[in-house]
Amino acid sequence: MTGMRKRVTIGFLSIVCLLFISGMLSFVELSRLSRATDDILKASRRNIELAKEMLDAAHELNVALIRRTVFAETKADSLCRASLGRLENVLSVAQAEALDKSFLDSLAFTTTEMKILVDGYLASHERDVRPQPAVLPDAADSLALNSLLQPVAPPADRWYTEEFEGVYNRLSAAVKAYMTSTQSSLAPRTEQMKKNAYRAVTPVLISLLVMIAIVLMFYYFMSIYCVGPIVEMNAGLGRYLSFRTPFAVKGECKDEVLELKEKIDTLINQARQSKN
Amino acid sequence: MRVDLVLRYVGVVMLFIAGFMMLAVGISYASGADSAFYPLLLSALLTALLGAFPQIFVDRKGQLSTKEGFAVVVGSWLVACVVGMFPYLIWGGEFNLMNAWFESVSGFTTTGATVLDDIEELPRGMQFWRMATTWIGGMGVVMFALVILPSMGRSKMTLSNVEMSTLAKENFRYRTQIIVQILLVVYVGLTILSTVLLKLAGMNWFDALCHGMSAAATSGFSTKNASIAHFNSPLIETILIGTMLVAGIHFGLIYATVTGKRNNLFRSEVTRCYLGIVAGLSVLVAASLFAAGLYPTLSASFRHAFFQVASLISTTGFATADTNVWTPFAVVLLIFASLVCGCAGSTSGGIKVNRLVLAVKMMLARMKQQRHPNAVIRIRLDGVMQENDMLHAVTVFIVAYMMLLFIGSLVGTLCGLDPTTAFTGSIACLGNVGPGFGAVGSMDNFGAMPAFMKGFDALLMLFGRLEIFGLIQLFFMKWWR
Repeated sequence: MTGMRKRVTIGFLSIVCLLFISGMLSFVELSRLSRATDDILKASRRNIELAKEMLDAAHELNVALIRRTVFAETKADSLCRASLGRLENVLSVAQAEALDKSFLDSLAFTTTEMKILVDGYLASHERDVRPQPAVLPDAADSLALNSLLQPVAPPADRWYTEEFEGVYNRLSAAVKAYMTSTQSSLAPRTEQMKKNAYRAVTPVLISLLVMIAIVLMFYYFMSIYCVGPIVEMNAGLGRYLSFRTPFAVKGECKDEVLELKEKIDTLINQARQSKN
Repeated sequence: MRVDLVLRYVGVVMLFIAGFMMLAVGISYASGADSAFYPLLLSALLTALLGAFPQIFVDRKGQLSTKEGFAVVVGSWLVACVVGMFPYLIWGGEFNLMNAWFESVSGFTTTGATVLDDIEELPRGMQFWRMATTWIGGMGVVMFALVILPSMGRSKMTLSNVEMSTLAKENFRYRTQIIVQILLVVYVGLTILSTVLLKLAGMNWFDALCHGMSAAATSGFSTKNASIAHFNSPLIETILIGTMLVAGIHFGLIYATVTGKRNNLFRSEVTRCYLGIVAGLSVLVAASLFAAGLYPTLSASFRHAFFQVASLISTTGFATADTNVWTPFAVVLLIFASLVCGCAGSTSGGIKVNRLVLAVKMMLARMKQQRHPNAVIRIRLDGVMQENDMLHAVTVFIVAYMMLLFIGSLVGTLCGLDPTTAFTGSIACLGNVGPGFGAVGSMDNFGAMPAFMKGFDALLMLFGRLEIFGLIQLFFMKWWR
């Protein structure tokens, strides 16, 4: 490519392009880093919200069952079912939103265990309070057999302490474990963020290094193709004007500097001819 | 020295490398724009910009002098290694600055040593870029660029003379342009042939291409953590043995053989010696393994012994077995293979069989001279009488090689490595072989090495690839004037 203007323009445009690329890269990468940090904070907040709702539902279930077992309030049955439903709903929301579902495995298992236990208890007590049908003489034997085969519900207080309390404690522990899961996964996330920060900085650094290389090359080319010849021409012209020594400057590139040198040569020749 | 002209030619090489980066971008895009897409694209843009800049300013003027040719070749190798690590650095993962530099130098010099613990974690684009560095390096970064450059008159000859060792030029009796084309035809042909055969043997297209490129370049980079042992296929191993052995032979002789010329590889003393060493070492290693009861049958012993010998002598470095558990006798034989390496004019590194043959002939001549002090003894190789300058160069090269090995081992032990790891690691890097023994065995990697040692090993790889003296020149300030 010939023409100093074109060369200088392209040189500066390259530097501008690189500056733009570096700027855009740092913007994009830092935005990504910021989004990642924001995601971690949001996940942590959401996790605490869901865990709180699950603990509330479990507590409600506990209270309803105490009312059912201690005070034999049949109205508490619907409350039990509603609390269980709420617990399941929150769990399914948590499962849908979770990035790492492994933390929810034990919670899901304990919730299912709780549901089977409570449903079984409520069903057996519903059967106990349901009015017995009139016994026909010929059906007496089969009824006796049925009553033998039907599981006998244990006393309510024993069921509560021996069966329910254990599952309830496990459920609470699983919810608490879920609540701290975000915090326990914080170390790998922080490691990931460190990597993200590294990734955010490296492209920018590399672009800057390339820009430094280009600026150095630009400086070198400008000094040997532009500044050097002009300084040389200036000195040559000065020597010619002061001491009449021949103007001998070499031109290497076919550009405006060479044209200038040739024009000076012509001018000197014309001056010599007019003198003669 | 005209630095501007040197920068112009180095810029051309960078544009060429940027082209390969764009190919890797294409592979990455075809694999669903994997995580390597953006690092490769950015690296390609930056490399292209860096390469195009001198083209804008510097006109093509005059011919390159030999000194300028040296500067272009050495500068191109160094700059290629620097820009080659851009994708690794931007991608992140296991790559920090030193790891990326090691991996890039290892790729371009076709050493094939890696610092990665989990190669399979790399996205396809990045896998392809690793193979591309090694494939470019196999032919020589400048030699490759010469093919695509328009007519450059004497400059092309100067560059090819500098890039190829004197020994490598022995079997070429053509013009520079033809030599470059022959090299390219043989290299590309070998890559395509091995790729197709590997695909037919059961690899998928991507793995076949990557291993084909790696074997033709005698690099040893693999897409699998367990290298070729991952495939556990005698057919794949046979194809790779063939490719590695052929890639270790002078490309001019391969071309002459294929085109039915008279000076073919069957008449070459060096090739016969190379194949003889392979056969002898394979038999000895197999016998040693079988006698030690490491493999149940003789055929299994021979299968692994033949593969490892072919892999190390051709400086490829693929592995099918953990050679660290092999007998000390077998290990010493394999170290010998790693020192001797393939023939001049091939993609392999190391001392080269040509120099070994000449050194042995010089020793025999010396003994004969002592018996007949007045005799005029001439040393011939492939029927050609060798000049004293050549014999002197061979001796100096072997001495310099051994000195570098000693320095490498010394630095390794200073960095806290055990003597086996330090010595064989230096052999593996200086000879561009890849695996050594000890902590850098065939089933291990260089990842656990201290950062300083990784940098030093990368320097050894460059010394090995540029046949020592090319790189040494750079350290003398007078040379630059």
